[in-house]
Amino acid sequence: MSLLTYILGWPLLAALVLAFVPRNYRFVARVVAIGATGLSLLFAAAMFLQFGGAAVSATGYRFEQVVPWVPSLGISYHVGVDGLNVGLILMGAIVAFAAACVSWEIKEREKEFYILLLVMTGGILGAFASLDLFFFYFFHELALVPTFIMIGVWGRGENRNYATFQITLYLSIGALLALLGLIALYLQSGANTFDIPKLTEYIRQNPMSLTSQHFIFPLLLFGFGILVSLWPFHTWAPLGYGSAPAPTAMLHAGVLKKFGLYGLIRIALPLMPQAAQSWMHVLAWLCLGNILYVGLVAMRQKNLNLLIGNSSVAHMGFVFLGIASLSLVGITGAVVVMIAHGLLAALTFGLSGYLYQQTGTLEMSRLGGLLRQLPFIGAAMVMAMFAGCGLPGFANFVGEFMIFFGAWKSGFLHGAGAMNWFVVVAAWGALIIGAVYMLRAARAVFHGPPQEKWAAVADANPWRKVPFVLLLASLFLFGCFPRLLTDKITPAAEPIVAMATARAAAPGTVARVSEPAVEPISDHLAPRQAATPETSGRPAEYNSAIQQMGNLRYETDRDASAIVNRQSPTAN
Amino acid sequence: MKLEVLPWLILFLPLLAAGVITLFTLKNRVVSARLSIGAVVAGFVLSVLFIKLNGFHPEPKELLANWLSVGDLRVGFGLRLDPLSLLMLLVVTGVASAIHIYSHGYMEDDRGYPRYFAGLSLFTFSMLGIVLSTNFIQLFIFWELVGLSSYLLIGFWFEKPSAADAAKKAFLTNRLGDFGFMLGILVVWATLGSLDFAVLQDKLAADPQALGAMATAAGLLIFCGAVGKSAQFPLHVWLPDAMEGPTPVSALIHAATMVAAGVYMLCRVFFLLNAPALHVIAVIGGVTALLAAVIAIQQNDIKRILAYSTLSQLGYMVMAVGVAGAGGNPAPAMFHLATHACFKALLFLGAGSVILGLHHEQDIWKMGGLRTKMPVTYWTFLVATLALCGVPPFSGFYSKDAIIAAAQNDGPVLFGLGVVVAALTTFYMFRLVLVAFHGPAKSDAARHAHESPGVMAWPLRILAVPSLFAGFWGVEKLVGSMYVTEEAGHAVAWYQEIFAPFVQAPAAAFGGLAAVLIGFFLAYALYARATTDPLPEKLGALATAMRNRFYLDEFYEATVIRFQDMIAAIADWWDRWIIAGVVVKGTHGTTELFGRALRLVQTGNLQTYAFLFVLGVAVVLYFALGK
Repeated sequence: MSLLTYILGWPLLAALVLAFVPRNYRFVARVVAIGATGLSLLFAAAMFLQFGGAAVSATGYRFEQVVPWVPSLGISYHVGVDGLNVGLILMGAIVAFAAACVSWEIKEREKEFYILLLVMTGGILGAFASLDLFFFYFFHELALVPTFIMIGVWGRGENRNYATFQITLYLSIGALLALLGLIALYLQSGANTFDIPKLTEYIRQNPMSLTSQHFIFPLLLFGFGILVSLWPFHTWAPLGYGSAPAPTAMLHAGVLKKFGLYGLIRIALPLMPQAAQSWMHVLAWLCLGNILYVGLVAMRQKNLNLLIGNSSVAHMGFVFLGIASLSLVGITGAVVVMIAHGLLAALTFGLSGYLYQQTGTLEMSRLGGLLRQLPFIGAAMVMAMFAGCGLPGFANFVGEFMIFFGAWKSGFLHGAGAMNWFVVVAAWGALIIGAVYMLRAARAVFHGPPQEKWAAVADANPWRKVPFVLLLASLFLFGCFPRLLTDKITPAAEPIVAMATARAAAPGTVARVSEPAVEPISDHLAPRQAATPETSGRPAEYNSAIQQMGNLRYETDRDASAIVNRQSPTAN
Repeated sequence: MKLEVLPWLILFLPLLAAGVITLFTLKNRVVSARLSIGAVVAGFVLSVLFIKLNGFHPEPKELLANWLSVGDLRVGFGLRLDPLSLLMLLVVTGVASAIHIYSHGYMEDDRGYPRYFAGLSLFTFSMLGIVLSTNFIQLFIFWELVGLSSYLLIGFWFEKPSAADAAKKAFLTNRLGDFGFMLGILVVWATLGSLDFAVLQDKLAADPQALGAMATAAGLLIFCGAVGKSAQFPLHVWLPDAMEGPTPVSALIHAATMVAAGVYMLCRVFFLLNAPALHVIAVIGGVTALLAAVIAIQQNDIKRILAYSTLSQLGYMVMAVGVAGAGGNPAPAMFHLATHACFKALLFLGAGSVILGLHHEQDIWKMGGLRTKMPVTYWTFLVATLALCGVPPFSGFYSKDAIIAAAQNDGPVLFGLGVVVAALTTFYMFRLVLVAFHGPAKSDAARHAHESPGVMAWPLRILAVPSLFAGFWGVEKLVGSMYVTEEAGHAVAWYQEIFAPFVQAPAAAFGGLAAVLIGFFLAYALYARATTDPLPEKLGALATAMRNRFYLDEFYEATVIRFQDMIAAIADWWDRWIIAGVVVKGTHGTTELFGRALRLVQTGNLQTYAFLFVLGVAVVLYFALGK
């Protein structure tokens, strides 16, 4: 069995075991949950460390395991990792362990809580490990449903019911749209398989028709987008996280939310490149909504959790910008931010949960002067806030600046420099707006004269520190040695970028004539080799960008002509 | 190159100290202080040793590790060793050593003593990182870390609201500059395809037009970073507020090193700056120098006077970079940076000694007569003042003269400005000295002042040495050798060197000297025996404006900050009431309404069901058969 099966299996097994434990054995529930997530974490760390030396399958995945389930439909339990998801799984395992650790704040119906937490953990890790569309989606739903229950039952604040309603409404719609898209993808691809590597390979050889691409891609973009709180479908997130118990917020904001982004990168971009290309400038505009608009909204928040929630939405904008750049640097940066933000979101929600547990409020006007009482928690929170506004040394900085660089030079859609203004605004959001709300919060909550009402507030004891230290240390590690991540991500991102940036066909083919919908792209149709005469008029960066896309852009010319041949009947 | 490991040690020892203190010895005062002081003093000794072994021109070899490499984005992590960085290495570790030792005495009673030293060490590490960087991203990383450590140190007394606010303000204002800096880096990378200083320099040397139309924009964007960090107009507002930090911190990061980073960076990337960009840089520097000097005249807080003086001197340095002209020689800027680092650190430490001696009194109008009560502080302070004013043969005279001479070549406006600022500098500095150290004691605290202990007095004495003599150590020639090919130097005797400026650029030298004399006599006439400030009466509204820093802080508060907050309020309102309120609540309401309607149908009444059933059948039959 693959290591991956252990990683996602332990939490699910533990959930099953817990179901048979009497409910007043509270300590057992806690030990089982921490033990199972801890085991997951150990295995995930081992997998991350052995990644370089592990055997690679023909499709480029490691630690693979395939168990056929419904052969007639092409569904199988297929798990495996490449550079894209190995870091995400490690991050998920770290966050899950940390979430189990901070669950000591749950004081009622603990058994049920831990069962749901373990199911959620197994689901999240399974979703990232799955290389089969069916299980990919199934595991995501497995993780999503407990979220609603946990917010509804263990949530806090007066807005709990409304928040539960809103988050359920949004996420169900998002998941449903994505499901529609995935089913349509299965039906339209003609590959008759749910297996992602096979499907990818098949579509690389036989691209989907533009009509079906343009039908399916928006479903996936907005379906996955809603799951990631893409502007303007974001209002569920701050409210939901504000009302959620800390472990749930950590797992959802940190890990589960990345599912949509992962789906976009793994499935939507490479399988529907032409549709992706025509939608990317829409995405670029929408991501400014996340970065700028939601960043400004975060500035106005008076409640710490709402502020963190909004900031988490704003951070998703950077990932979207990286994706929209359709460049190797940008997408690698996007994956780094996904991992970094996962750790960071878990850290901030965990810390704010501790704060809430100690002070009974997260209204910033009622807090203040807490640093003397809470040296560790305060220092950790201030560090987290600095990480959130992109301070070097933390992994977020690496990802964000890579996204800026990738997007700045991405001349793919409308020629070199077309995205510069997006980057300018994004940099404003990252460097200025982020710093404004983070530092204001640090000032309001921790600085200022000590107050008597906090005399009873106690700092974390060594056990309570474990999850926070673990998360901070990971952020530091990846921030100081980013190649731990990028050296794994880049080789996996290369073929995806190559597929996603592939042109519809060679210039002057049927596709161009018969598909007015893609007219703007076909204006930029580029020949395969930079040396061909057509490129002579293009800017130098453009040519180098094409070369940079690597050998994988098209396997051979022969493949490309196969694309044209196959496409023409469908297009007509 | 001998002992290549030394620069790495110099860089990472302070980080090690900061890490160990934070993780292990936060409760142990003695060990923390020893670690921190030991790291920086060792850094200074090793720097001297390295330069002794290799000279200022080690073989041009960069010690490089691959930090990040994705596609065509390649970022190394290395150490750049040339006269510029080696000089800065000496200045930073040297001045920082004195300040670390001084802090040992100054901060002794503070409960956050170990945390303080951790902050100092982190700062030293970041600053050394800037100095040794080989490429833009590495520089930017340490640049931000300097911002972080200044946040931690300015806000060291975070329980004091004004200190916490000042820390926030410093970081945010710096971030504004960094925003432009980041964009500048992006432009350079996108057009030239590299981030490495050496590669970029070669590329531009091979083709000076390589940046094309973006040349001016790139230069000005990068300059934005220096505007933030070196506190140039219009982003200068953070520096005076930063005086809320402990006084040694002000000495270290707001006088000698952090604010110098901007000037250093401009010299490092000097090859990127073209003539129009340099012109803007010169003007901004000149405006800052004048504005800050005028404001300094009406400040009453001893640290604030020094803070504005720092601003003014930084303006000089930035102007020196600007007036060097494209392809010129910005060595005067580095020269002044080096001498200023010594004497300004000395001034701040002297001010700290006064503040401690008077039990935290900072108003100069409550001092007076300290000359006899604090002799070491007084004499060293005087040495630094003379150096700052530019009195020969103190170091400041030579560096300032080099700048004024360069400005003279540029044109009469900046030359005149340089001379006027020199006069203003002498005026406000002697106002400070005469009011605080001479005349009668103006408060009880001043009457009972006492000299500081040896651990604080010795750093003052040590810093007085370079404040006096650094003009003769050939700093300018050393740095200049990087920018222009050296002329065959003829050896000059030491006494000739004293008078060299009067021979080489007499207008600048005599102009500067005259300015000093005018400033001194004005200050003496007004303040020698004053117990209150006579100027406000004479200047009226102008003095009020000067005291209130020309209302620039209030102006920013009312415009930039208010504007951003207003947009944020609108966005928040829209989110709360339109998206979440109308759309989601609308869906909520519709769903609920629908549910209620459906519930009406489910009455549980058998007759109703039977009736509906029959009705349904009738309808179906009508459609099936009737048509």
